[in-house]
Amino acid sequence: MTNTQEKKSSSRRSFLSAAASGLTLTFLIPDFTRIDEALGASGTQVNAWLNVAIDETITLTVGSSEMGQGSFTGLAQVVAEELMVDFSRVRTVQGSPSMTSPVPVGASINTVGSGVIRGNFWKMRDAGAIAREMLVKAAMNQRADQVRTNFTVANGVVTHTPTRSTLSYGSLAAAAALLPPPATAPLVPDNEFRIIGKTVPRQDIPSKVDGSAKYGLDVQVPGMVYAVVKHCPTFGGTMSTKPSTPSGMLAVVPLSVFAGTGRGTEVTGAVNAIAVVGPNTWDVWQASRRLTVRWNLPANAASLNDAEFLRQANALAVSAPAYVPGGANPPGTLYTVEGAAAATDSALSSSAKIVDATYFLPYVSHACMEVLNCTVSYSPAVKCEIWAPTQSAKSVLQLAMAMTGLLENQIVVHTMYLGGGLGRKAEVDFVSQAIQVSIAVGKPVKLMWPREEDFARDQYRPMGLVHAKAGLDSSGNITGWSYRNISPSILGQRGAVLGPKGDSQGSEASNALPYNFGSRNVEWVSHPSPIPVGFWRSVGASINTFAVECFMDELAAAANQDPYQFRRTKLTDPRWIAVLDAAAQLGNWTSPLPAGRTRGIAIGAAFNSIVAQVVEISNVTTTSITINRVSLAIDPYIHVNPGQIEAQMQGGIVHGLNAALYGKQTFVNGAAQAKNFNRSRMIRLNEMPQIAVQIVANPTLSDRTRVIGGAGELGVPTFAPALANAYFKKTGKRQRSLPFFPNATMGEL
Amino acid sequence: MTLQLNVNGQNHQVNVSDGSMPLLWVLRDLLGLTGTKYGCGIEVCGACTVMVDGQPELSCDLDVTSAAGRKIVTIEGLSANRSHPVQQAWVAGQVPQCGYCQSGVIMTMACKMKAGARGSDAVKEVKNLCVCGTYQRMKEASKTI
Ligand code: FES
Ligand code: FES
Repeated sequence: MTNTQEKKSSSRRSFLSAAASGLTLTFLIPDFTRIDEALGASGTQVNAWLNVAIDETITLTVGSSEMGQGSFTGLAQVVAEELMVDFSRVRTVQGSPSMTSPVPVGASINTVGSGVIRGNFWKMRDAGAIAREMLVKAAMNQRADQVRTNFTVANGVVTHTPTRSTLSYGSLAAAAALLPPPATAPLVPDNEFRIIGKTVPRQDIPSKVDGSAKYGLDVQVPGMVYAVVKHCPTFGGTMSTKPSTPSGMLAVVPLSVFAGTGRGTEVTGAVNAIAVVGPNTWDVWQASRRLTVRWNLPANAASLNDAEFLRQANALAVSAPAYVPGGANPPGTLYTVEGAAAATDSALSSSAKIVDATYFLPYVSHACMEVLNCTVSYSPAVKCEIWAPTQSAKSVLQLAMAMTGLLENQIVVHTMYLGGGLGRKAEVDFVSQAIQVSIAVGKPVKLMWPREEDFARDQYRPMGLVHAKAGLDSSGNITGWSYRNISPSILGQRGAVLGPKGDSQGSEASNALPYNFGSRNVEWVSHPSPIPVGFWRSVGASINTFAVECFMDELAAAANQDPYQFRRTKLTDPRWIAVLDAAAQLGNWTSPLPAGRTRGIAIGAAFNSIVAQVVEISNVTTTSITINRVSLAIDPYIHVNPGQIEAQMQGGIVHGLNAALYGKQTFVNGAAQAKNFNRSRMIRLNEMPQIAVQIVANPTLSDRTRVIGGAGELGVPTFAPALANAYFKKTGKRQRSLPFFPNATMGEL
Repeated sequence: MTLQLNVNGQNHQVNVSDGSMPLLWVLRDLLGLTGTKYGCGIEVCGACTVMVDGQPELSCDLDVTSAAGRKIVTIEGLSANRSHPVQQAWVAGQVPQCGYCQSGVIMTMACKMKAGARGSDAVKEVKNLCVCGTYQRMKEASKTI
């Protein structure tokens, strides 16, 4: 539908689909500047597009995924603001991925890194403004008056002020579609915002209270059969002999690791699972449970144990070979992220006081409420249709092309609602399995991982051991800061060749900290454990912010200073100070507490947002802590929907809380031990603390040179250290190892 | 075997090879009522909660045989047009995040309300797991009913 005439004359910003239905503005995410390449390509779909139809409807199609984070709504708000229409008039629909994109494959539609709003805010504003100006231009042509100031826009109606005549967007859409888009269009000034920065209801919520929202696991396709996956319980194990098909079942399909989907122990081509296929979930699942599969266990199974992982980490904390440019740099290599060891060591050696501490964080499962699943309908040499709860629709498309040899236009990817993603659904291992089964049985198939498989075959938040050492002078200034994090590499397990600074995901939130540390040296060491690891809500910040902020608390105590004031006097970034102050004020830091209660504080940044939390606790026992109150302040620079930020902070705090108190995956001889929620406790409603959230305002909103921060993952990192610091205040004991209660269980309802 | 099920006021005849198939999978796979969710399968999470003769039941652990002949209500049948007070409060209070647990939560609330409890009391009996952590909004929304 692309109007080829328009291609040459259009700006580099956008191009048009001149359709009878009205104005369609296609814009590229996340990179406008290489539009020409996209125009030269044959694809018709780009990552997001905006349609103003002749029937007055306005539709924004978004490629990213909706998993409760509300970014669809946020994007619609931004567009509605610039189009100058009521928010309720912009309908958001789920788009499909395409290889036609100006960005590297797989990078464009991933819903990760708290990135949907922060990556698209300005693009959405430009798109809305350009569309608005094209509609106004159409009105100018129709009224034969080329003086722009003679026209105003409100609620999707263009008024010609001299004649007081009005034209609706719908009546202008067809004519606007034939106009060249302007290179730029004026944006709505900050002080006229009606929608950006306001809480509006999320568009997906009504369907989530009546059972009509369709998640991946809800997909039903005519003629569909069901597949239930059973992996080798031991990481690195492979099928020995294919079991015969149980009676009543259609097939047993061996599943192999497709190139690019295996992590750590799981190597390409290895048959690490089978799928039992049959008439419905329950019958198939029962048959799968009864089925005995003989597995070849890996030679290193006996070394895949928590105790061994800890031993390796402790050894690497003492000594590790340094990165060599161009060298092999095998696991166990030390990378310097910031500073130099020699300078910091010498600063430390002349300090009045030395403090050091070692922190440990375990592997943690994602445990999304909806288990991994995928539905595929494959017709040989004709078509492959995929329904997936995915954070990476484009990776799904790319995988399907590679696995089936079909062309892009023969593959359809439907991004379904996600019952939680948490980073796990950015992977496509489960999608590759569903494609394999559909090819093998020649029917549409819905493939499901039972909850036990979802826990036992996760790509976990990496374990991490952090050794920190700092010096203080006699006035409590920090003279040197030495920090070493030893953890398995997420990027390394995805084939990345690590540069001199190691894995950016692993060192995230440990470097460039705006504290006055004197001499600083930050190191990251790749831990050799091959247990599959992946992106878990807030990724490296979940490890580093815990260690950094617990250690800052230890330094405050060693300097005999209040932990809030200690941090405040060390901070060098006014935005961090404002956030710390806001959290302290919200949490009544300086007022006395009722007897039995204590508070802890922590601050950190991730995904360009700054967050501080004050956590208030009471009633500490050997199996429980009562968390009474959490006060959180966030500075995302620009915020679109404060109600939604509040919801994300509440959710992030609960995520961080579950992990801090109970989250842990344990490995015995390569097999995960916690396989359901009964062994991976999380809080229930009666344990929910009262949470207060404050968004710290910035003076100048619409400075497009400023980086916008994310929200989705930001509640997580600062919770655990604030809790541990409150626990110290309460008990005098430092909790340097998470979780607090590793043996907790969760009972039946 | 063939069984009669009464779901959302309608009688359904279902064929199952295994009478111990949990109601959850009958609803989802055989009747296409996918609003009721699978979370854990071991009676811990509550995502599968439905109303059976007015009481909350975990459908992942209720044999279809023992559900036969009883009045089953799922989220799809709770009301027309999301008009149940709990649904209205949940929309007004913007409770769901991913939403996956909410069918179970809302059915639990609806059962407790049916027993005459006020919203703010009923919510105290909600033990359903919400990985997204929407508990505070559940509490706030329930105060309005
Ligand atoms: S699925 Fe029934 S309680 Fe979790
Ligand atoms: S809303 Fe996602 S699990 Fe409750």
